[in-house]
Amino acid sequence: MSRYLDTLGTIVLLELRQRIRSVAWVVLVSVVFVLVGIVTLLLWASLAAFGNDVSQSAGIYSTVIFFVLLVGTLVTPAISGAAINGDRDAGTLATTQVTLASANQIVLGKFLAAWTVALTFLAASLPALLFTLIAGGVRGDTLAASLGVLVLELGVVAAIGVGLSGLISRPLFSVVTTYLVVAALSIGTLIAFTLGGLAFQSQQTQTYIGIDYSVGGEFDPVTGLPEEIVCLEPETYSYPVPRFDYVWGILAANPYIVLADAAPTTFDRNGYPQDLFGQFAIGVRGAQLTPDLDSVTDECAAALSGDPGAAFQQETPQQIFERTVPSWFVGLLIHLVLATAAMAGAIARTRTPAGSLPTGSRIA
Amino acid sequence: MNAAAVIVVEGVSRSFGEVHAVRDASFEVHAGSVTALIGPNGSGKTTLLLMLATLLRPDAGSIRIAGHDPVADPRAVRSAMGWMPDVLGSWGSISVRRTLEITGRLYERSAAASRERAQQLIELVGLEPQAEQPTRVLSRGQKQRLSLARALVHEPSVLLLDEPASGLDPAARVELRTLVRRLAGEGVAVLVSSHVLAELDEMADAAVYLDHGVTASAERVERSRAQARDWRIRAIDGAQLEAALVRLGLAGTTTDHLGTSVSVAGEREAAELLARLVGEGVAISAFGPAVGDLEHTFLDLARGDAAGADPAPASTEGSER
Repeated sequence: MSRYLDTLGTIVLLELRQRIRSVAWVVLVSVVFVLVGIVTLLLWASLAAFGNDVSQSAGIYSTVIFFVLLVGTLVTPAISGAAINGDRDAGTLATTQVTLASANQIVLGKFLAAWTVALTFLAASLPALLFTLIAGGVRGDTLAASLGVLVLELGVVAAIGVGLSGLISRPLFSVVTTYLVVAALSIGTLIAFTLGGLAFQSQQTQTYIGIDYSVGGEFDPVTGLPEEIVCLEPETYSYPVPRFDYVWGILAANPYIVLADAAPTTFDRNGYPQDLFGQFAIGVRGAQLTPDLDSVTDECAAALSGDPGAAFQQETPQQIFERTVPSWFVGLLIHLVLATAAMAGAIARTRTPAGSLPTGSRIA
Repeated sequence: MNAAAVIVVEGVSRSFGEVHAVRDASFEVHAGSVTALIGPNGSGKTTLLLMLATLLRPDAGSIRIAGHDPVADPRAVRSAMGWMPDVLGSWGSISVRRTLEITGRLYERSAAASRERAQQLIELVGLEPQAEQPTRVLSRGQKQRLSLARALVHEPSVLLLDEPASGLDPAARVELRTLVRRLAGEGVAVLVSSHVLAELDEMADAAVYLDHGVTASAERVERSRAQARDWRIRAIDGAQLEAALVRLGLAGTTTDHLGTSVSVAGEREAAELLARLVGEGVAISAFGPAVGDLEHTFLDLARGDAAGADPAPASTEGSER
C-alpha cells in the first residue's frame, strides 16, 4: 500500500512541478489574492453604511466563498482539462505508462494535483476569510459546511476535467467540454429551471374581499378603518403562474445552490437571511412551494377580527426554510457521481496494453 | 547464438480499424545481442515496438519478454524492459536530473537510489553540462540522450530502441553504438529499429526485416543475402582498372565518382576478383561492398515484394490474412 502511495505521490509532485511552478501561475494566484482583498474591503465599507452589525461579516464571508467557487470553476477546467491528452500529445504519457505506475495511479495523481492547484485559490483567499472570522458573526457549522462543500466542488470540477482529458483525444475539445459541463451545471440549470417552470403553467385564481370605504361612517384615526366595516363583493382575478415546484429539482444540481443550501444560514429578527448562502438557498427552497391555485385574500374578515394587515401577511424566508426540504446532498451526490464516472472512464482509457485507441491519437 | 531468447514474438498481428499495421511478425532476440529491426517507413516497426513495450495489445499471436507476457503481466515486463520511444517527449519544465530521479521513483526505487542512478546516467550519456537545465531547452540530440538514459533507469535486461540515432551528430552516433554494444556485452538483449541501415550494420548482430507488417523468414533473408551484389572498386588509375575488368570478362560495370561498381555473387567470388585484379597489376586503393549487408538484404527483399515475383512463405502467409 505504501508503495502504491509512494508512486501516487511521485505522480502528484511531477504534475505540480510541471504545472504550478510557473511565473504565470504565481501572478494568477496573486491577482486572486488582491481581488478577494478588494471585494472584502469594499463589502466591509458598504455594509458598515447600513448600520454596524457583526452579522455583516457573515455576509462578507459567504460572498468570498462564492467568489472562490466562481474563480475556481473558471480556472480549474483549464488546469485539469488537458492533463492526460496533453501528455499524450507531448509524448510524455507513454513514457510514464511503461514505468511501474499503473493507469489508476497516473489518473488519480493527475486529479489530486489539479485539485491541489484549484485549492491554491482558496488558500489565496484565506487571509480575507480569516478577517471575516475574526470579526465574528460566522457560525462554526456554516464555516465547516461551506468550506467542505467548496473543497468538494472544486474537486468535482478537477475530476471532470481530468476524466474528460482521458476520454477525449484532443486537449482543446476536452478543455472546452469541461467548461461546457461547468456552464451546464452553473448556468444551464438556471435556464432549464426557468424555462421548465414557464412551460408548466397553472391557472391561479385569486379572490380579494376588500372593505367598502365609501360607507361605514367616520374613520378610526388609530386603525384607519371605518367605524362600521362593510365588505365589498369578492373580486376574482385569474392568471397563469409558472410551476417552479415541478422543476425545482433541476436547481439542486447547481453548484452554487448546493453550496448555499448546505451552509446553515443565520436569520435576522424578521426572519431574513443575513448571508448570501441564505439568499441563494431561498431561491431553491421557495421554488419548492406549490402555488396556492385558489387563494383568497380576505382583508375584510381580517379587519373585522381587528388586524387588516394579517390578510397580506406572507411567510418569512425563515418559515419557508423550516417547511421545505434541503436538497444540497442530492446535488452533491449527482456531482460526485459525474466526477467518479469521468475518472473511471479515464482510467479505463489510459490502461495499457491498450485494446483500442482514441480515434486519431498517437499512443506515444 | 546459444544465449537464451529474451524476446520471443510469434505470429503477432495488430490492426487499427482497416489498417493492418502488423500482420504477422515472428522473431527472437537473444540475451547479449543487438538485433536490428529493419523496415521502410510505415512498415509497422513502431507498432511492433509498442506491443513489446506493453502499451498496445496484440490482436493475435504471443509475445514473451524476459519470460513474461506483456498482456497478462505488464508489470513484470515493465520492470525488465526499457523503452526509448521515437517521439521525444520530456517534462519541459523539469531538469534533466529531476527527470531521471522521478523516473527512478516511478520504477519504485528509493529516493536515494534514484538520485544515485540519475547521476550515473547523466555521466553515461554525457549530459553533465545540461543536468540542471529544464528539458525544454535541450537540443534534439540531447533529448535523444535523455530519452536513452530514461530507458536505462531501472537497469533493464531488455532494451527497445525506436530510431535511437535520428538527430544525433556523427560523434554522438559513435557514442551510442559503443554504449549499445557495451550494454549487450553486459548481457542486455537489445532491439533497435531504424531505417538508417549503415548505422545498424555497425552495431547489430542479427536483423529482423519487417515489410508491410510481415517479418521476412530466415530462408528468405538468407536467399537475399546470397544474391549477387555490387562491390565498389577504386584504383589509382581508373583506365587501367577498366581495361583489366574487360580482360576478365566482367561487362556491365558502372563508374561514378566513388569508383567502379561490379556485380559479384558472394564474398568468396569477391576475394577471387580482388586477387585477380591485383594479379593483373592494377593498383587497387579501395575494394568493398557498395552497400552495407543490411541495406543490400533490405533492398533485395523490398525489390522482391515490389516485383511480386518472390513467393516467399512469410509474405504469402501475410497477404492471405
